[in-house]
Amino acid sequence: MRDGEIRATGVWKRFRADRQRQLLRDQLDRMKRRLAGRSNAHGYRWALRDVGMAVGPGESIGLIGPNGSGKTTMLRLLAKVMYPYAGRVAVGGRVGALIDVRAGIHPDLTGAENVYLYGSLLGVSRREVARKFDEIVAFGELETAIDRQVKFYSSGMHVRLGFAIAAFTEPDVLLVDEVLAVGDAAFQQKCLDRMRAVLAQGTTVVFVSHDLQAVESICERAVWLRDGVVESDGPVRDVLGDYRRTVEQAAEILTPAFGLVRVVKSEIRGPGGDTPVSQQPLEVKLLLESPEPIWASMSIGVSEGPATPIFLLGHEAMLPAGQTELRCSIPFLPLPRGRFYLWFGIIESTRDLVPWHPVGQFEVLGPELTPTPRGILRMAPVQVTPTWEVEER
Amino acid sequence: MTSASTRATEPPADTLFKLRVRIIPAIREVWQRRELVRTLAERDLRVRYKQAFLGVAWSVLTPLALMIVFTVFFQRVAKVDTGGAPYALFTYLGLLPWTFFSTSVNQGGQSLVTNNQLVNKVYCPREVFPLASMAVAAVDTLLATLVLGLLFVITGFMPKPTSVWVPVMLVVQVTFTFGVTLIMSAVLVFLRDLRHVLPIILQLGLFATPVAYGMDVVAPQYRVLYSALNPLAPVIDGYRRTILLGLPPDWHLLGPGAVTSALLLAFGYVVFKRLEPGFADYA
Repeated sequence: MRDGEIRATGVWKRFRADRQRQLLRDQLDRMKRRLAGRSNAHGYRWALRDVGMAVGPGESIGLIGPNGSGKTTMLRLLAKVMYPYAGRVAVGGRVGALIDVRAGIHPDLTGAENVYLYGSLLGVSRREVARKFDEIVAFGELETAIDRQVKFYSSGMHVRLGFAIAAFTEPDVLLVDEVLAVGDAAFQQKCLDRMRAVLAQGTTVVFVSHDLQAVESICERAVWLRDGVVESDGPVRDVLGDYRRTVEQAAEILTPAFGLVRVVKSEIRGPGGDTPVSQQPLEVKLLLESPEPIWASMSIGVSEGPATPIFLLGHEAMLPAGQTELRCSIPFLPLPRGRFYLWFGIIESTRDLVPWHPVGQFEVLGPELTPTPRGILRMAPVQVTPTWEVEER
Repeated sequence: MTSASTRATEPPADTLFKLRVRIIPAIREVWQRRELVRTLAERDLRVRYKQAFLGVAWSVLTPLALMIVFTVFFQRVAKVDTGGAPYALFTYLGLLPWTFFSTSVNQGGQSLVTNNQLVNKVYCPREVFPLASMAVAAVDTLLATLVLGLLFVITGFMPKPTSVWVPVMLVVQVTFTFGVTLIMSAVLVFLRDLRHVLPIILQLGLFATPVAYGMDVVAPQYRVLYSALNPLAPVIDGYRRTILLGLPPDWHLLGPGAVTSALLLAFGYVVFKRLEPGFADYA
């Protein structure tokens, strides 16, 4: 097994369904049941089922999936914090795990004391921590706070402290679980830069996050877990694309149960009434039905699936009672090739006449999105065609 | 991609995770991470002194208070045969190892539960948590030993040259304490309500151990059995004989105590290692 290599085959992990109760009474109960020949199996739920994963040294892999899909459990198995119920997990070399950076930090100690404590926990010798102390403090931007007790830190400072220590431990495999979410934008970028630097040194990175853009900017490959099962594993853009679509499909089932105004029909067309094309005009037609005349402030959004639109179009108009057709045209569609979703809502401060929900999907033809270099966070896939000139002087 | 319907609902039996307890590599790993034990102990000490107004005094207060209580009551009520040594010294020598034991077992026993944040999220050999608690207890004992020096000065009683035997008893004492602490910490993860029973058991243990009284309370024919069951008894007896009376330790008693301690530690370590995979799931 080479350093930085991860091999997991047929991994199963289960938890007791009711994890809180660990009393003598419960144990006696279980023992009684086992003696009576009845199994305790119904008291468990599977967190991971037959998960396989092979990662080579220096690879960067993103673990994605909804809450409770087993991402963190998988990470804990890789970190050797937990043991599998079945299957094999092997990780080569030293593992640095950033699973909830606040765990190792004691609120009553000062920042400096915590640097040594957390360093020790991550397996770094005191001498090494002492050598890198100034670097760690500078990275976390904690120069003025390092001698203060951590309980007086803001939550952002807390995370910065944790990440700064962990970032300087130089492991062969770095496991990162959703730690960037708390820091501010500037620090997030710093963390991404640091992870890229770590990758450049040949460290293997496993990154768990709900922030798909961050995953995309760090990882070449992604594994999508769904209910503890690997749903797909492949190049990051493909897996993320699949994932976004499913998130959308799940949303579509939830056709709004309330709302005064109803969307009867939606139509999305490109030039000449055909499939929309990148950089070309686009027309959206919505058939709305209202029981009464209403002054409506309407919003149309386009997204890759989730409720957060890439761009938003707003318009206010009087809707008479009965059916109304709303037409909206844009002269220039700034999207790359791919599948997109149309969201619609009529939202007022007092009531939602139409809740924000997806009303249709469409394919866009045209050029592929310009690839993002690692470590740059792109918020949304907007494709702009520029003219370049490179002139020697 | 496999669809969920064709997927098995149970893992194949031959792939089930089997735990192999390998003691030697485990010990080596703990040794490699000894710095962590020190850091964790330091953390607990720092935190305690930041929160407590009396600071260092707390370490000394428990054995000192008990010593005074015992001296006032036992010396008057029950005439304890100390072999000519002052009773305060006699009982304090029993209280030192006892306090070390009881603090270790109490704090160390709960260490995996109180550190569950770490057990859950950071990899390290789990023995470091009970070990760190023992290290803290050791620091307390060390401070309390300074008071012993003071007691010698006050009473004008001199320790005998046979005190050179002290390290032998110390080894037995630490071995026994470590064994019990390991077992307690591992079992407590799975039996949480034991946490409330533990102080009561320890309270009773104080009276089952010759702290306030001497070995001579036990009938001679039962002393070997007693020492084997409670290794702290021959340890305390040994301290008193060597430091106060100028006698060598009673090997017939210390021997069985040492054997019990060694067996208990070995057993405790295996228990700990066997239960270890469940710690993160339940802690």
